[in-house]
Amino acid sequence: MMGPLVLGNLTRRPLRTAATAVAVAVEVSLILLVVGLTQGMVREVAKRIEGVGADILVQPPSSSVLLAFSGAPMPASLGQRLAALQGVRAVAPVLVQPNTSHGLDLIYGIDPQSFDALSDGFVFHEGHGLRQPDDVLVDDWYARARHLHAGQTLRLLGHDFHIAGVVEHGKGARIFVRLDRLQELTGARDRVSLFFVRCQRPELTPAVMEELRRLLPRHQIRPVRQYLSLMTATSLPGLDAFVQSMIGLGVAVGFLVIFLAMYTAIVERRREIAILKSLGASRAYIAGTFLTEALSIATAGLGVGLLLSYVLRALIVHLFPTLSVEIAPPWVLRAAGLALVAAALGSAYPAWLASRKDPLEALTCE
Amino acid sequence: MQRSEPIVRTENLWKIYRTGRVEVPALRGVNLEIYPGEFVAIMGPSGCGKSTLLYVIGGLTPPTRGRVLLDGNDLASMDDGARTRLRRHKVGFVFQRFNLLPTLDVRGNIAIAQYIHGNGYDPHRFEVVIRLLGLADRLHHRPAELSGGEQQRVAIARAVINEPRLLLADEPTGSLDSQNSAIVLDMLRELNRQLGQTIVLITHNPEAAALADRILHMRDGIVVDGLPPD
Repeated sequence: MMGPLVLGNLTRRPLRTAATAVAVAVEVSLILLVVGLTQGMVREVAKRIEGVGADILVQPPSSSVLLAFSGAPMPASLGQRLAALQGVRAVAPVLVQPNTSHGLDLIYGIDPQSFDALSDGFVFHEGHGLRQPDDVLVDDWYARARHLHAGQTLRLLGHDFHIAGVVEHGKGARIFVRLDRLQELTGARDRVSLFFVRCQRPELTPAVMEELRRLLPRHQIRPVRQYLSLMTATSLPGLDAFVQSMIGLGVAVGFLVIFLAMYTAIVERRREIAILKSLGASRAYIAGTFLTEALSIATAGLGVGLLLSYVLRALIVHLFPTLSVEIAPPWVLRAAGLALVAAALGSAYPAWLASRKDPLEALTCE
Repeated sequence: MQRSEPIVRTENLWKIYRTGRVEVPALRGVNLEIYPGEFVAIMGPSGCGKSTLLYVIGGLTPPTRGRVLLDGNDLASMDDGARTRLRRHKVGFVFQRFNLLPTLDVRGNIAIAQYIHGNGYDPHRFEVVIRLLGLADRLHHRPAELSGGEQQRVAIARAVINEPRLLLADEPTGSLDSQNSAIVLDMLRELNRQLGQTIVLITHNPEAAALADRILHMRDGIVVDGLPPD
């Protein structure tokens, strides 16, 4: 019997019910999109690193897992010593340079021969490889986002580059220039940020890493597989705090909106509460009515929020093709749980208050 | 004639409302007895404590002093939960302003009392009551779609659906025209005569009170019947 009563109360104030449900939907979407964007971006970067085809990543001592913060402290000549180690098939030196002219992208300065040898070469959608000093390759996502084609000019780091080709995405960065040109433009002559190392066979990776650690005891030497596991939103400095803050904000919005809606409902429905009490309804029954109302609104908001998240994800990916939004099922469940818990907590005090209302107060105010 | 045990007995019943530091006594030592099957009317001027007496007898608010026994249970010694349970099983209320739940239709307004009572929906009892109160063709209407008289009949149906030992009616005709008042009073009278329903009726209306078996008069928080004149 609580069902018709709850339904009647929800439909009695349709605008308030809808607005509250929308607030819960915003809460759910905020959580899913913030987490989805950070997870999606981080995992997409990780996938691109994996796509290079290396087994081992060699970085300078105390370097960040975020390649954008790497700098260029290693001599390029170190690559020859790494290539001479037993079990190593190919070594590709890379100079990493952040490009902030249109959002944040990484430019890889590569030596075309060694990079091709390590990564089995690019798949070209248009054009050809890096032949001239001012040639640049962009991946298909970057080209689509900025409407670029082979043969056009692309200005990077205050320098005009010629787009030699558009390549399939997934080889580390979205923009590739020749290593020597990038070294010259960034004042890092003969310096690189990292070395990708590919072993002759994947199972040789531990042995090669041992050799590398003997050779470069203070350097960061990570198997690419471990690097991928480190590239999560929760393991990156600052990002986790940001994500948690946004989740907290979303939950707070849901909590406060439900609290206000239910509190207003109780003030408005003093007489109905008194009627239920005169019929012998227990405190639990009355509190349960309000809790059920709040959870019904939250459930409706949850459904709308999920739908909204997928619509917004499609919109974001359409408008910003280089962005990746990953709405993972565990986070859908977590967002649902958070929305319902926020609704339950937000309605707990109003429900408690309702259950303790003096019926006489309402019945005698005729 | 030997009478059975009273269903309601109050002994030196006091109720004092407190607003900040101000104390307002609404009941000042009420003593009365109401017996099963009786139809008792309580009359008196506004503010004499009639409605308060009704709410205390019905367990909606505890007395400040004294005893009130409802079917042998002392309400003064009960906590809110126990009074709620007793009210659920033994008392039905009818109010002046009908007090129906606006979001439920007639069926829902009556059935909710059965669900709160705990025995769930009883279709047989439901049919008997709605037929007695002439509500069969109004079951799917909401309160806003009913006349005052119809709303009060629904309120009576809701009050008696669980066969309470005591029906407390607080000026049930106070918001009705004379025609609907007569219908509602007739129904209360029928409930009392046909089903033996014990009824306590608060009213200002002498004609309504005249339908009762017994009339009690209140003034300044006490029942004055049987008291020596001032």
